[in-house]
Amino acid sequence: MAALEEEFTLSSVVLSAGPEGLLGVEQSDKTDQFLVTDSGRTVILYKVSDQKPLGSWSVKQGQIITCPAVCNFQTGEYVVVHDNKVLRIWNNEDVNLDKVFKATLSAEVYRILSVQGTEPLVLFKEGAVRGLEALLADPQQKIETVISDEEVIKWTKFFVVFRHPVLIFITEKHGNYFAYVQMFNSRILTKYTLLLGQDENSVIKSFTASVDRKFISLMSLSSDGCIYETLIPIRPADPEKNQSLVKSLLLKAVVSGNARNGVALTALDQDHVAVLGSPLAASKECLSVWNIKFQTLQTSKELPQGTSGQLWYYGEHLFMLHGKSLTVIPYKCEVSSLAGALGKLKHSQDPGTHVVSHFVNWETPQGCGLGFQNSEQSRRILRRRKIEVSLQPEVPPSKQLLSTIMKDSEKHIEVEVRKFLALKQTPDFHTVIGDTVTGLLERCKAEPSFYPRNCLMQLIQTHVLSYRFFCLSLCPDLMEIALKKKDVQLLQLCLQQFPDIPESVTCACLKIFLSIGDDSLQETDVNMESVFDYSINSVHDEKMEEQTEILQNGFNPEEDKCNNCDQELNKKPQDETKESTSCPVVQKRAALLNAILHSAYSETFLLPHLKDIPAQHITLFLKYLYFLYLKCSENATMTLPGIHPPTLNQIMDWICLLLDANFTVVVMMPEAKRLLINLYKLVKSQISVYSELNKIEVSFRELQKLNQEKNNRGLYSIEVLELF
Amino acid sequence: MGEFKVHRVRFFNYVPSGIRCVAYNNQSNRLAVSRTDGTVEIYNLSANYFQEKFFPGHESRATEALCWAEGQRLFSAGLNGEIMEYDLQALNIKYAMDAFGGPIWSMAASPSGSQLLVGCEDGSVKLFQITPDKIQFERNFDRQKSRILSLSWHPSGTHIAAGSIDYISVFDVKSGSAVHKMIVDRQYMGVSKRKCIVWGVAFLSDGTIISVDSAGKVQFWDSATGTLVKSHLIANADVQSIAVADRCLISCSKKRQLLLFQFAHHLELWRLGSTVATGKNGDTLPLSKNADHLLHLKTKGPENIICSCISPCGSWIAYSTVSRFFLYRLNYEHDNISLKRVSKMPAFLRSALQILFSEDSTKLFVASNQGALHIVQLSGGSFKHLHAFQPQSGTVEAMCLLAVSPDGNWLAASGTSAGVHVYNVKQLKLHCTVPAYNFPVTAMAIAPNTNNLVIAHSDQQVFEYSIPDKQYTDWSRTVQKQGFHHLWLQRDTPITHISFHPKRPMHILLHDAYMFCIIDKSLPLPNDKTLLYNPFPPTNESDVIRRRTAHAFKISKIYKPLLFMDLLDERTLVAVERPLDDIIAQLPPPIKKKKFGT
Repeated sequence: MAALEEEFTLSSVVLSAGPEGLLGVEQSDKTDQFLVTDSGRTVILYKVSDQKPLGSWSVKQGQIITCPAVCNFQTGEYVVVHDNKVLRIWNNEDVNLDKVFKATLSAEVYRILSVQGTEPLVLFKEGAVRGLEALLADPQQKIETVISDEEVIKWTKFFVVFRHPVLIFITEKHGNYFAYVQMFNSRILTKYTLLLGQDENSVIKSFTASVDRKFISLMSLSSDGCIYETLIPIRPADPEKNQSLVKSLLLKAVVSGNARNGVALTALDQDHVAVLGSPLAASKECLSVWNIKFQTLQTSKELPQGTSGQLWYYGEHLFMLHGKSLTVIPYKCEVSSLAGALGKLKHSQDPGTHVVSHFVNWETPQGCGLGFQNSEQSRRILRRRKIEVSLQPEVPPSKQLLSTIMKDSEKHIEVEVRKFLALKQTPDFHTVIGDTVTGLLERCKAEPSFYPRNCLMQLIQTHVLSYRFFCLSLCPDLMEIALKKKDVQLLQLCLQQFPDIPESVTCACLKIFLSIGDDSLQETDVNMESVFDYSINSVHDEKMEEQTEILQNGFNPEEDKCNNCDQELNKKPQDETKESTSCPVVQKRAALLNAILHSAYSETFLLPHLKDIPAQHITLFLKYLYFLYLKCSENATMTLPGIHPPTLNQIMDWICLLLDANFTVVVMMPEAKRLLINLYKLVKSQISVYSELNKIEVSFRELQKLNQEKNNRGLYSIEVLELF
Repeated sequence: MGEFKVHRVRFFNYVPSGIRCVAYNNQSNRLAVSRTDGTVEIYNLSANYFQEKFFPGHESRATEALCWAEGQRLFSAGLNGEIMEYDLQALNIKYAMDAFGGPIWSMAASPSGSQLLVGCEDGSVKLFQITPDKIQFERNFDRQKSRILSLSWHPSGTHIAAGSIDYISVFDVKSGSAVHKMIVDRQYMGVSKRKCIVWGVAFLSDGTIISVDSAGKVQFWDSATGTLVKSHLIANADVQSIAVADRCLISCSKKRQLLLFQFAHHLELWRLGSTVATGKNGDTLPLSKNADHLLHLKTKGPENIICSCISPCGSWIAYSTVSRFFLYRLNYEHDNISLKRVSKMPAFLRSALQILFSEDSTKLFVASNQGALHIVQLSGGSFKHLHAFQPQSGTVEAMCLLAVSPDGNWLAASGTSAGVHVYNVKQLKLHCTVPAYNFPVTAMAIAPNTNNLVIAHSDQQVFEYSIPDKQYTDWSRTVQKQGFHHLWLQRDTPITHISFHPKRPMHILLHDAYMFCIIDKSLPLPNDKTLLYNPFPPTNESDVIRRRTAHAFKISKIYKPLLFMDLLDERTLVAVERPLDDIIAQLPPPIKKKKFGT
């Protein structure tokens, strides 16, 4: 659930916020520190956890800051533009903005954009874009005009999409809106016209955007109070052509459109947006968090002193101007999964080994790009710090590892991976693991002979990988390759480790586990934890087995004489005993099948895939399940021996599933007949046991009633007591 | 062994009053507890948490603070603005002194135990010097704006911390001036409460002050700089504790089958029902007559009832408050009931700690809080004072337990610490004194015919002392030699009543809150290997086995919590239970805090 926490203000320094509010709040290179630029002359660096400023810089009287200060994440320096054209770069040690590095540009800057993992971009008011380094190399270079006359940039955002920097900016001209998407690496600029739909009069008040791999989801808050979504493809089909984009209604009337104050919208994550504004025209301003997937209001907070209609969101903090002071509201969204709510999510054996938060979000690279950023070492920092060459950091182990993966032999990679895992405590550990697996898998695909099995096993056991739904991430490849290689050992490990394997893949694993030859199984090193050595007691309890056969849950099959099949069955009692006593599959296969039994699934998705399994394999699996059931019913607690055995419920569920999916096939097979008869009798006996239990329950209830009457004697009674 | 008809009584609607504050004395290992009705009780923690002493409550006295000072002196202060010292020997209030600061909310004795500090409604903190027999006002500290709700001394005695509404003050004891004032945040979970009341402060030796307040915060302050060091939000929840008093609140008239229940401000008289049916063990017999509530006797005035008693013949009821003693003549014939107060009580019978009637209801024994024992002759509707046994010279210890022999010749009286005194009622002189024992007496009774005095102590030891022979009986010596069963000694509630079977001289009947036991002195004592309590009746075992496994202790745990059990006649018992569920049902609901969901 999304939740807003207790707000606090960063009020130590009075901000000279104008009528338009602040110029901007930007992240710095340290997670907890933010750059706040007011609409006058001052930039303040705040440490949010301490609620106090760390530094403050002002431009000279007469000058005015025109573009919010940002941090260059590659050098740790701050960049600001004043008087539209003058660029200033400084760092924490600098005191006076007048004395720091200065560059005068030839065109007016709209905004400097900086995100983690890439160099800052400078967006000019005329729509041209330059990298900061390239611009600083020749500050007076000519800047071309991209947008037409009277077209004004309204909003811009900078993303790194799948390791490629992408810039989007929205312009407006005579009530028409245009979106420009610039792929920075490929220098492709695409222009789109945003169609406003029926309500031509509405004015867009605020924009926000989020990205996935193919689309930029542009959300806009219109003056009618509704939120619309426009999907913009990142890689355009035809970049030359001017294309139109249609918006779709996402949320209706979240704020009052004709409110006096400004409204603002920002995307918090894939499913949540924060909206600042008045819910009704007359009411006070509110910050509300909406779930766009379910269209529900998650939480809201009243801001009685009014805001400037600006909202920034970084990390876990929402920033806004509340009254005269800058207010920070921490925002948290606990992960809640439907699978967990439905109870089908597999629970980890030992708590703490895999927690959901450990999983890497594959879609947002977290600063450690694979061969992306390292090539573009900041030239200017070299220029500035020529003297400090000796201080240059060595190549971090993670990068070394990544380069190893691309070219070295399997053995060498294994050694490197082990070395890296031993280090473990690096901050980008998860990212590196992810990148490593991705790298290994890409190489696997490219070179069919390359299959670093041990490496992958080690990496899976770090518990940070997760199988994302619907093949969106890079990890599906892992199981795909393992399936291709018929690596049952790796598949078993994946089944045990990943909580979110699609049913189709589970079924594919099941197919391999059932079809793989016994000889090839012998060579594998499967985890046998879940299997108890059934063969040991199968010999000596032959007699006992007969007994259990008779007393199976209180039901004696012999009694059921009217059944024709039963007589047929009784002709060969020897065979029957043997069949149910010995495990129908070898131990290693049993271990693999147990991994399937333990995995989480949803019946609706699993059933169609189960139909694809060949009939004889279905029979084999059913026989194994029936065998497990008999083993279960041997003891009073109805459990199997062993460390992590399948539970009775899992066994019964799978029997039902298999029969549901393949009933017609199984009925037609002569070799499955005996099994079906056994199962039929099993069900019949269960029914008769339950009907007996029902009868007993009635009597028990009566007894209980009597007992209660006896205990509830009221306030006064005379009883007989005898002491012995 | 014995079959009884048991009158199982659950209509004693007694609810113990809530605990307001507690104070622990480290030296004597005693805990003083004050209740909402003003009663102060003292528990001896080393003697199985036995309630050793109690001071009856008073309606106008709400005790807000309790503390122990040097020499194990107990002080209390309350909303009537008075500081009181309790006399732990004579069990009365030594003196009460107005602090002249309005209601007193808090009190703390200095680490040395020689000074007393009280925090008052008007915002003043007053320092008193404790003198050997009184307390003396010494100085006012700087007056604060609002009431002082909590106080704590620095272990060195140089500074104190005082918790008030919305702030905490630190005072210098020497100068009496406030050194620091620390404002407590009013916010609680984002909701600004009207006031933040600092309910408790603690001053640590390193100068840290810890405060707890009504907003549910625990905060750590630095007293040197007056700054907040750390703040923790804790769940605020009320603790409800339940303790059923060990004091005897029930007396019974065997002849008339009447039960007298004592409450704080009234008495209830009930008549037991009857049955003509018989049955076997465990049966509930059909009632031919149900129990009846005969009388509801309200006291006048604000004082709580200390003790009460109904005579065995059922025609006298006596009770006492702190300042007055009441005796009533009860006439109960053919469902007509009349009550007549016996007037003109002598002045010395002002207050009683324990009242007892002789078996034939002709004599009344009263233990007064001055340590004297009075004997009063009752005849017809009048009474005559016979004698007063004065306490031995030099002691003022009050007697709080009495026992009289069925023949009326012997009276045993026990105080809280010294031994049991046995008086000869005929000759009106002290007969002997049973040697003192380390643990207080919880119950005692004198057996018919033999005149053996059976005494139970809070450490679960039971002694039998022959009054005529002035020595312990052989059985008692045997028991002491062999020792009690370990499970018997591990019981955690004291024996509260002892009685005897008129036809079976070898039997002693006794009970605590959770069991009823008949000790058969003719049977061998159990050793630690034998089963002390067997809930199941022996079935199809041979007589030999039964005889071999039989031992002296016959225990029944059917009735619990058992407040009172006595023998009405040879075959009839009365048991008064107070089911805990019934008490809990009458308590206010605890503060509930929802943790999950919305």
